[in-house]
Amino acid sequence: MPATDVAAGTKMTTEQNSAIELLIGVTGDVNPVDLRSRAAAAVAQSSLPVRASGQVVVAWPGVEGAGVESGNGSAPTLIPYRPAATNEAGPWAQISAAQRGILTLAAEVKAAACIVIGPDLKALRADTVHALGAPVLDRQCDLVMPIYALERYEGLVNTAILMPLARALYCKRVQMPLALDFAASASYAERIGAKANRGLLWPAIAAAQETMQVGQVHLPVRHQTPMEGLDLTAVLTQIVGALFLEVERTAATWQRGRSAQPTPVWGQPAQMHESEETIEVRPMIESFQLASRNLDELWQLVLPPVTLLELRHLARCEPEQFKMADRIWARIVYDFALAHRLRSISRVHLMGALTPLYLGWVASYVQEASMMTAEQVVQRQEQLARAFEENKPYLVSRWRWPDRFNP
Amino acid sequence: MWNQVGQSLQQSMERVVDKVAMLLPGVFAFIVAALIFLVIAWAAAWVTRRVLMATHFDERMTRGASKIAEWTPTYTPTRLATRVVFWLFVLIGLLVGISAFAAGSSEPAVSDAIFGYVPRIVGATLLLVVGNILARFVSRSVLVTAVNMNLDYARLLSIGVKWLVLVLTWAMVLDHLALGKGIVDMAFGILFGGIVLALSLAVGLGSRDLVSRSLEREAAKPVEMPPSDKLRHF
Repeated sequence: MPATDVAAGTKMTTEQNSAIELLIGVTGDVNPVDLRSRAAAAVAQSSLPVRASGQVVVAWPGVEGAGVESGNGSAPTLIPYRPAATNEAGPWAQISAAQRGILTLAAEVKAAACIVIGPDLKALRADTVHALGAPVLDRQCDLVMPIYALERYEGLVNTAILMPLARALYCKRVQMPLALDFAASASYAERIGAKANRGLLWPAIAAAQETMQVGQVHLPVRHQTPMEGLDLTAVLTQIVGALFLEVERTAATWQRGRSAQPTPVWGQPAQMHESEETIEVRPMIESFQLASRNLDELWQLVLPPVTLLELRHLARCEPEQFKMADRIWARIVYDFALAHRLRSISRVHLMGALTPLYLGWVASYVQEASMMTAEQVVQRQEQLARAFEENKPYLVSRWRWPDRFNP
Repeated sequence: MWNQVGQSLQQSMERVVDKVAMLLPGVFAFIVAALIFLVIAWAAAWVTRRVLMATHFDERMTRGASKIAEWTPTYTPTRLATRVVFWLFVLIGLLVGISAFAAGSSEPAVSDAIFGYVPRIVGATLLLVVGNILARFVSRSVLVTAVNMNLDYARLLSIGVKWLVLVLTWAMVLDHLALGKGIVDMAFGILFGGIVLALSLAVGLGSRDLVSRSLEREAAKPVEMPPSDKLRHF
């Protein structure tokens, strides 16, 4: 069903009843009966500050010929939405397209708040719906991002690249800049949903671009990642490559930002499950050493001589002494972002050349984190993020004068 | 006798001067035509660049499956298109110049021979350019993939693939130019077969231990690496 038809149908329904207070959108194929019952239970038990006259609707991808299904009693109205057009490939691109579609629909029906839920519906619970929706409905912020309950060796691409890079460049201390679940205000949906961007949706970056208030909430949710089954290079290409594209697209904005501002955080962090199992880092170090012997000609096209020298030293280290300094890692990520923009080498090869470097960082991080408590791990991640912030002038200089500034 | 020698020298000098005098207008016409088309090429390239920038050609080409940038990473699609337009006009200018040379110098045999060979040269040049780009792209793809698969002989594999593509390209180029037909076919067969044989021997004999160690390590790996249960990248 075309989006305009959906909006028209919904408008009629809402005019007959009342304004839409909350729109809950699901970014994947679901059983509508199951969705409706779970959404009704979640909203009823969530004690969200929804006005009595306000209506709660649920948006889902729909099937061929599906229309608006009006709610009855406690069951919310079901509205199909159309995912936004995307030219990117991969599972997360489909999720991003769905997220944009939900935001567009929320803007069309003028919903006061919009909660976007991942396709596995794990976040469609009373506590999570309340945690995400309350700050937006209370007008405390325009965007609420989740902080998922991860173990120390989970979400490493986020820890290594996504979080510190997004935080340093866009000056917002957001723990997970790419999330399956988030909540947005009406003005956020209106501004971001209307943008014809066909890349991945980075909710926190989009909010930073529009100078909107961002908050975070601890969610005790563990999602099945949609990237499951893909090899590491494919994950880096689809996710980190998309972030590099976003960095290129928003270069005019992030070069002006200085230091990262803290964002309000609600809720208590879930207890980190401590496992006795140790991680074998030797295969990752060997991958790094093999790449150091073979990929030198590609790294030379991307990295400056100083970094190359340090990588050669690192490749000769014994596994016990293997430690990649935060400054080096931050500069490597910045150099790859620049090479992505300059197309120093093909982007497919670029992300392939980043993979062993990333494995080297993982090996170094795992060795350190294995001897730390949960609090120390958080501090370690904070230290890495600060290294990215401190080295931001390096990126700005190289971005502006890639040929002249090449230490 | 000296008079006859002097006359012969004088006559040969006159013939050479006559020939040069006959060729000069043609050479001048060639230079003028080439210069005019150089200016036209520059103008056409400028117009092309402005139009493509105005229509956001780069953004369109970097979206979706048609990613030209993957094949020519150094240049943006706009720069590539601009260069193609420029060199197309330069080539046309050279052809017009050769034609003008023939008309101006009344030496049609030279231009006929050149014109007859131009399509082959153009085709061969295209083959060479595409072959080189392909060889570099494929060799880098093999290198990166092999390194990420932890293959110790990644570089050997990459170099082998590169030379296979290059040898194939040069054989096609020489074949297209109709140079040394039989020799090229035979040399290509020997060289291509030689490279494959050399690689086989290198892997089978020289690097036998290396390969067997690498294969043993691969075989010894469980289907799922133990760390992957606890180590989640995304």
